[in-house]
Amino acid sequence: MTANTTKKRFIASKTSMLALLVVSTMVFTACSSKSETSTNGGDNGKPADGKQVTLKVEIFDRGNAPAGSTITDNYLSKFVQEKFGNNNNVKVEYVPVPRSEEVAKLNVLMASGSDVPDIVFTYDPNTFNRYAKQGGLTDLGPLLEEHGKTLKTFLGDEVLEYGKFEGTQFAIPAKRSITGKYASFIRQDWLTKLNLPVPQTTDELYTTLKAFKEKDPGQTGGQVIPLGMTIASAQYEPLLWSFIQSMTEEQQYTLTQQLGSNDYPVLLPGFKDGLQFMNKLYNEGLISKDFGLDKDKKKMSEDIQTGKVGFFSEDDINIYYKDGTYDLLEKTVEGAVLSAVDVYTNDQGKHAKPQYAPNGLYIMVPKSSKNAVEAVKYLDWMASDDNLFNLQNGIVDENYTLVDGIPVTNENPTEEAKNRLFNSGDLAIISNGKQLGSLEDNLKARVLSMPAQFHEQLAIAQEIAYADNIPLVVLDRPIEAQTKYATTLLDKFNEIIVKTTMSKPDQFESTYTAMLKDYMASGGQAILDERTAAYKEMKSK
Amino acid sequence: MSMGVYFRRYWQLYALLVLPLSYFLIFKYGPIYGIQIAFKDFNLFQGINGSEWIGFDAFKEVFGMRDFYITLRNTLMLNFLDLLVSFPAPLILAIMLYELKTAWFKKLSQTILYIPHFISWVIIGGIVYQVFGTQSGMINNLLTSVGLEAIPFLTDKNDWLVTYLLVGVWQSAGWGTIIYLAALTGINKELFEAAGIDGAGRLKRIWHITLPGLKPTIIVLLIINLGHMISIGFERPYVIGNLAVREYSDVLSTFVYRIGIQSGQYTLATVIGLFQAVVGLVFVLGSNYVSKKLTDESIL
Repeated sequence: MTANTTKKRFIASKTSMLALLVVSTMVFTACSSKSETSTNGGDNGKPADGKQVTLKVEIFDRGNAPAGSTITDNYLSKFVQEKFGNNNNVKVEYVPVPRSEEVAKLNVLMASGSDVPDIVFTYDPNTFNRYAKQGGLTDLGPLLEEHGKTLKTFLGDEVLEYGKFEGTQFAIPAKRSITGKYASFIRQDWLTKLNLPVPQTTDELYTTLKAFKEKDPGQTGGQVIPLGMTIASAQYEPLLWSFIQSMTEEQQYTLTQQLGSNDYPVLLPGFKDGLQFMNKLYNEGLISKDFGLDKDKKKMSEDIQTGKVGFFSEDDINIYYKDGTYDLLEKTVEGAVLSAVDVYTNDQGKHAKPQYAPNGLYIMVPKSSKNAVEAVKYLDWMASDDNLFNLQNGIVDENYTLVDGIPVTNENPTEEAKNRLFNSGDLAIISNGKQLGSLEDNLKARVLSMPAQFHEQLAIAQEIAYADNIPLVVLDRPIEAQTKYATTLLDKFNEIIVKTTMSKPDQFESTYTAMLKDYMASGGQAILDERTAAYKEMKSK
Repeated sequence: MSMGVYFRRYWQLYALLVLPLSYFLIFKYGPIYGIQIAFKDFNLFQGINGSEWIGFDAFKEVFGMRDFYITLRNTLMLNFLDLLVSFPAPLILAIMLYELKTAWFKKLSQTILYIPHFISWVIIGGIVYQVFGTQSGMINNLLTSVGLEAIPFLTDKNDWLVTYLLVGVWQSAGWGTIIYLAALTGINKELFEAAGIDGAGRLKRIWHITLPGLKPTIIVLLIINLGHMISIGFERPYVIGNLAVREYSDVLSTFVYRIGIQSGQYTLATVIGLFQAVVGLVFVLGSNYVSKKLTDESIL
C-alpha cells in the first residue's frame, strides 16, 4: 500500500463515510493495476512507434448501465475504440468514478500517483485550482498548439480562458451549449379563475401571491403554497439577484464572492433587501414553512405536481421532461396550466438573473500521466468531423431523424437504440449539451428533445432564461481564499438565507447582523481583501 | 512439556490468530504513520514524505476557527444528552422484556424493537421529514387540523434537539437490549426464587437482584460510551440536521467532512482527528480510573 493511501485511511477512520471511500479505493486500485499490467505490458515509458498505448479516461458512473452493457464496455466505448483507438494505436480504457462522490474519489485517485487516469475532470473550479497550485497537472498549452487545433477552434478563446491557472493552460474546459439558466412559472388557470393579470414586477407578484393565499383558487383546503421556495439556487437566486442594485465596476469586482462555479451576492448592495422580502413572504405564510429542509427540490416538485404551488422559479427546462413535474401536474389536476413568465424586477426595471459560465467540466491531465499527447489527441478527435455529433445523437433513423439539419430524437426508439446513448453526456466530455454549431440550433434541438405538447412553452422559457442575464465577474487571477473557504462559505450562505427568512420580523436585523459577521469571519473577509487587491492590481496595469 | 513440543502440538491455535492480528496491524496501527500529516503542509501530489514540515501551524489554525469550538461544543452536548436519554433506555427495555413470561410475545416485541436498528440513517432521515415536517408533516397535520399551532420539530433548535434524541432512542434502544438480555441469562434463577419465598415483590427483585447482576455490564458500556464522547457518527447529525438548526447540528464529523473531503484540506482534518483521538483516550482512561476507585469494576 502506498504511503498516500495509508494517510487517507487515517483521516477516514474518523467517519464511516470516509471509511467506505477508502475501501472502494482499495478495491479500485487492485482492479486497475491488474488491468494495466495485462494491457500495457508494464511499459510506462514513451510509446515507441508501433507499440499500443493505453489511454485511461475517467467516466462518471451513475449506476444506470442497461443490461448487456457496463459503464466501461458499451456501444459508445466500442465506437471510440473503433474510430479513434484503432486509428491511433491507442487502447482507450474507461475508469469509472461514482457521480455522487466525484471530488472525493478524484482526490484519492490523484493521490495514488501511478493509478490515476490520463484524463480526469471535475465541475468544481476550486478542485481544479487546488490541483494546479499543488503542481499536479500537465501544462496543456503547447500540446493543444501541436495536437489540438480542431479542439481549440471548437472551444474558442473565451472558454479556454477558464482553464488557465495563473496564465498556464492547466485544464481544457468543456464548452456549454446553452448558458441560459432560469425562468419563472405561474399557474395560469389560477390567474384566470381570479380574474388577475400576469404579474409584471416583484410588487405585482406580491399582490398576486396574497390573492392566491386568501382565495385559494386551487381549492387545496388551506394547503396552498403561493410561492414555491427551496434552498436550491434555482428558487432563491432569481429572487435575490433581482434585489441587487446597480453597481460601479469596482463594487462588482470586489464585492462579488465566487464560491464554486457561481457568483454569490452576499455583500452586494440590495442583498439585505432581498432577504427582508423573503422574511416578509415567510412570515405571511406565502412560502413553505419547511423550505429550508428542501435542498434537492423534491418536496417542492411534489407540491407543484399535486397542485399546491402557485408560482415558482426553476431551471428553464426542468419541468418539461416526460413524466416530469408538469406532465404529472396535468395528470393530477384537471385543467392545470403553467405559464413561463419573467417577473422578478430590479431597480432598473430589468428582469436580471444569473447565467451559466460558458464552460462546463474542467478536463485535466495529471502530471504523472505518460500519455498527455494521446489525451489531447483523443479530445481533439472528439471535436473533429461529426464525431461529437455521433456520440451525442447515435445512429440516424434509429435514434434520431434530421429535420432542417437538427436531430430530432425518435419518440419511440427501440430498446437497443435507447440503450446506446445511456452514457452519452458523460462520455462526450468536451461539451455540456448538444452542439450544433449555433446557439439558435442548440436551443431548437433542446426544445425538440422534449414532449411535443411543451415545445411552445419551453421555447418561451428558454427565451426568458436568456433575458437580462447578469454576466459572471471574471478576475485575471485565481483567488486563493475562494478555493480554501468556498465549501464552508456556501453552507454559511445558505444558512444566512434560511435563518434570516425564518426569523420573526423584529429579529430580522439582529439575525442578519450576527450571520453576516460569522460569514465574514469564516473567510468572507479574506475573499473580500484578496479580491480588492486583485482589482487594484488589475487597474494599475 | 517443553516449548518445542507445546508449539508443535498447538501451533494451529497461534496460526488462527495471524489473520485478526494482521488486520489490526495493517488497519489500526499502520495508519498511525499518517498522523504526521497534521504537522505537514500536505500536498496531494508529493505524498506524505514529499510534503513540508510546518510544525504546529495547522493546530494554531484549527484552534483559531470559530466553527471548531461550535462543532466541539455540539459534539459534546449531543453525546452527553444522548448518554442521559439513550443510555438508560435499553436497560429499562431489557428488564421489561426479561419480566415477560409469554415466550411468543417476548420474541415478537424483541423483533419489532430490533428492526429500526437495521434501517439506514438516510431512510430514517426521509421518514423523520415526513413525520415531523412543519408544513406537511404527519404530526403537525394532525395538530393543525384540530386547531392547534404547528410545532417546528425540525427547524427550531430546541425542538430539534428533542427530535434528534428521541429518534436516536427509537433507532438504537431495541438493539441495545441484546447485551443486557445476554447478561440477564447469566443471573442464577435460584436467587429470584429464594427472594420470592422471602416475600420480595417484583420491584424489590429487580432492585436487589437484576440490577446488581447487570452492574458489570452497565459499567463496561458506560466506559465505552464515555470513550466515544468526543467522536460522533457522521450520518445521524448530517441526515437529521438542517440549515435552520446548524447551530446545534454541526458537529466534528460533519466539520471534518466539509474541510477534509469537500475542501481537500487534509492537514486540518488530520489535526482534528488527532485531537479527537487524544481526548477520547483521556476520557476512557479517566472513566476507567474513576470506576475502578468507586466500584472496583474496570475494563483495563
